[in-house]
Formats: sequence, structure tokens, C-alpha cells
Amino acid sequence: MNALRAVLWKDLLSEWRSRDRLPAMLVFALLTVVVLRFSQPSGSLAGNSATAPGLLWVAYVFAAVLGMNRAFALELENDALAGLALAPVDRGWIFLGKAAANLLLLALAQVTTALFFAILFDVDLLSVAGPFLGVALLGALGLTAAGTLFAGISVRTRYHEVMLPLLLFPLLVPLLVGAVQATAGLLGEGRAGTGALQLLVVYDGVFLIASFLLFEYVLDE
Amino acid sequence: MSAWAIEAAGLEKRFGPISALRPLDLSVRAGTSLAVVGPNGAGKTTLLRLLAGLARPSAGRLEVGPHDPDRRRRRAGVGYLGHATLLYPALTARENLVFAARLHGVADPRARAARLLEAHDLGGLGDRRVGGFSRGMAQRVAIARALVHEPPLVLLDEPFTGLDPEAADALAARLAALHAGGRTVVLVTHGLGRAAAFAERVVVLRRGTLAVDMARGDAEANAFEQTLRSALGPSS
Repeated sequence: MNALRAVLWKDLLSEWRSRDRLPAMLVFALLTVVVLRFSQPSGSLAGNSATAPGLLWVAYVFAAVLGMNRAFALELENDALAGLALAPVDRGWIFLGKAAANLLLLALAQVTTALFFAILFDVDLLSVAGPFLGVALLGALGLTAAGTLFAGISVRTRYHEVMLPLLLFPLLVPLLVGAVQATAGLLGEGRAGTGALQLLVVYDGVFLIASFLLFEYVLDE
Repeated sequence: MSAWAIEAAGLEKRFGPISALRPLDLSVRAGTSLAVVGPNGAGKTTLLRLLAGLARPSAGRLEVGPHDPDRRRRRAGVGYLGHATLLYPALTARENLVFAARLHGVADPRARAARLLEAHDLGGLGDRRVGGFSRGMAQRVAIARALVHEPPLVLLDEPFTGLDPEAADALAARLAALHAGGRTVVLVTHGLGRAAAFAERVVVLRRGTLAVDMARGDAEANAFEQTLRSALGPSS
């Protein structure tokens, strides 16, 4: 747990001082929302509740991948990754520290993006704000659990910024199915749907446990 | 605190088709000061990273420290300084040391960081961000970082890089003190003079193999460096 707290503190302090990740994630997510909005035929805000959830989660995934790539770019500088690899702890705790920092930053980006999205796409997120935040958090947890693992795997490859999305996107399909369905349920009927929530919870559990165990080998050369 | 020994038999490391280390045998008694010298691409850094546990051998056997299947405990005994400083530019020198101390489970990280800053003449720089440091200043913080948990085995890859002569002499004295305190110290350096001045034993790597292995006792008194240069031939 000490290692988790230390890595989380280090990542958040570095981010606070450098402002390297969160602004980039926000700008990218908001830009994605704007582009997606203008890709819709004009005057077609009716029926938004059918397409809006998918478009929102596209913006979230893009922001998450950008953020997680940068999270490990921080460790490449000055070979700081070796410093983490040398820590005499279960490396799973280092994974959890990195994932927790990624989750906090992604959650901030999600909330800001959701507000902007609700305005541009004229969807009523406020009336389901509480449940929506829960779904967003479950989705973010899965994104960061899988994303942090694969960002750690891809960081030492030559084209790591390309490798991460290539490795990650296929594995995100179940998560996105659950997240989009849950969000669509909230916007349509006011309830997320048990099946979608179960899918999210199972995905998060599987990837948190698997990533914790596998991270021991991720930091080896 | 007991020093650590190193035992390598048939040690190999390959990166795809490239053999960075060919089968290499190396036995280092606990408490030895060893210098590893060689031209660029000889495999010195690869060897050091294997000893640190940062890389896994492609073949062969490697035992560092007491035989312990728990890799965490093996990592606890190693202090490592690489080519890069392992420091976070956005953090201050003190914060970098506190972070390293917390990772290594030091009981009072802030006190340990303060002591190391004083010991390495960094007292006035502790609250400045490392990103603004010169190479030499960052190197001194990096060396302090490698020693934050008082490891029995210290591995240093070209620690004199970027240091002015005064700082280099101070570091040499510090390394001698570490060795006198009973630690096993392995130093990778380009400088044969530094290697001969510091180490009880010098090994020379060439193209991933052990070319020369000489102990101070094998040479006449005050002629260690000269004897090494003779053994290396004209290219040295």
C-alpha cells in the first residue's frame, strides 16, 4: 500500500506541476465532441439519445488513451521506469498507483466532457447525473485497468503511441458495449440496465486482478 | 549489514538477433570493489542491468546476493545508478529522494532524504526541481537516490559522467567509503585510471565477452593501472 500511495502522490504531483496530461486530455476530448457534433446532419438533435452514448464514449476512450500514453512517457524520461522496476514491492501495487492516478485524471476529464457534450448534443444528463457518474466511473475503472497494463507493455516498444491503441482497442469492446448500453439506458428509460452494469463490473474485476498479477512481468526487460 | 556476492555462469543476454552478452562466467566475492571497463557496445550496461534484476538472462545462471526465490527481497538489496538519472524532472531533489525512500520502505523517508542531501553537498538544492539541474547536480542526486535504502550491493553505471573534477574526487572518496563499510560495489566506467584507482579487481568486456580479469594483487604495487593497460594492448 505504501508503494501505491507513493506512486499516486508522485504522479499527481508531477501532473500538478507540469500540467502535461489533463489539459491535453480535455482539449482532445472536447475537440472530439465538437467534431462529432458537426458530423451529425444539421437539425438532427432528435434521436440523439440513440447515438449520443456511443459518441460520448468515443471521446472518453480517445482521452483515456492519450492520458495513459503520457503517464508512461513520464517514466521513460530519465529511465525512471527502472526506478519503479527496482522497488522491492509487488509490482501490482505500482500498477495500482499508476492506475489510480490515471483514473482520477480521466474522471475529471469525463465530468468536464460530459457537461460540454450535454450542451452540444442537447441531452439531459443532469436529471440522471448520479447514476451517470456511477456508470462513467465503472467505465473509467475498466479503461484505466486495461489501459494502464497495456501502456506499461507498450511503453518500451519503438512506436508505443501507436501500439497502445492497437493492443487496447479490441479488448475494450466488451467494456464499451456495457458502458454505451448503460448510458443509453439512462438517457432513454432513466435506468442503466442490469445486464450492462454486470458486464461493467465483471470487466473491471477481471482486468484489475489480471493487471495486478501481470504487472510483475511488465516491468522486466 | 552483510555484503552480497555475485555468481554468474554461462550468462547470456540477447536482444533479438544481437548477442549483447555471450556466455560469461563471473564470480564476485561479497565486499569486493569491482570495475567493469570496455569500449562502447561491449555489454557493460547490459551486465549491470542483469545484476540489478532489471533484465532477465536469455541463458545461463545468475545469483546475486543470498539465494532467495523472492525477487522483491533481491531487489531490496540493490542500489542502482544507470546511464540516466532515474529522477523525475518536475519533482525537487528532496521529493525524488523521499519517493525512492518510500518505494524502498525506509522508515523515515524525509529524514533519510535530508541526511543524503547533506552528505552529497546538496543541502541548498533540496527544494529545487531536478528538471532545472545541471547534469552534474542531477548526477549527485541520482547517486544519493541509489543509496537511499543503504543497499549491500551498489551498481553504478558511469557515475563520473558530468561531474567536475572536485565532484568526481568527492564521489571517488564516497565510493571508497562505501566499500570500506563492507558493501559490494560494481562500477562501470570508461576510465581505466578511475577503475584502477578505485577497484580491487577490474574486468574488461569486449563484444560481450570477458577479455581481461585482473585483481590488484596480480600486479606489482602502484602498477595496477600500468599492468592493466599492458594487458589490454595498444587500443587502451
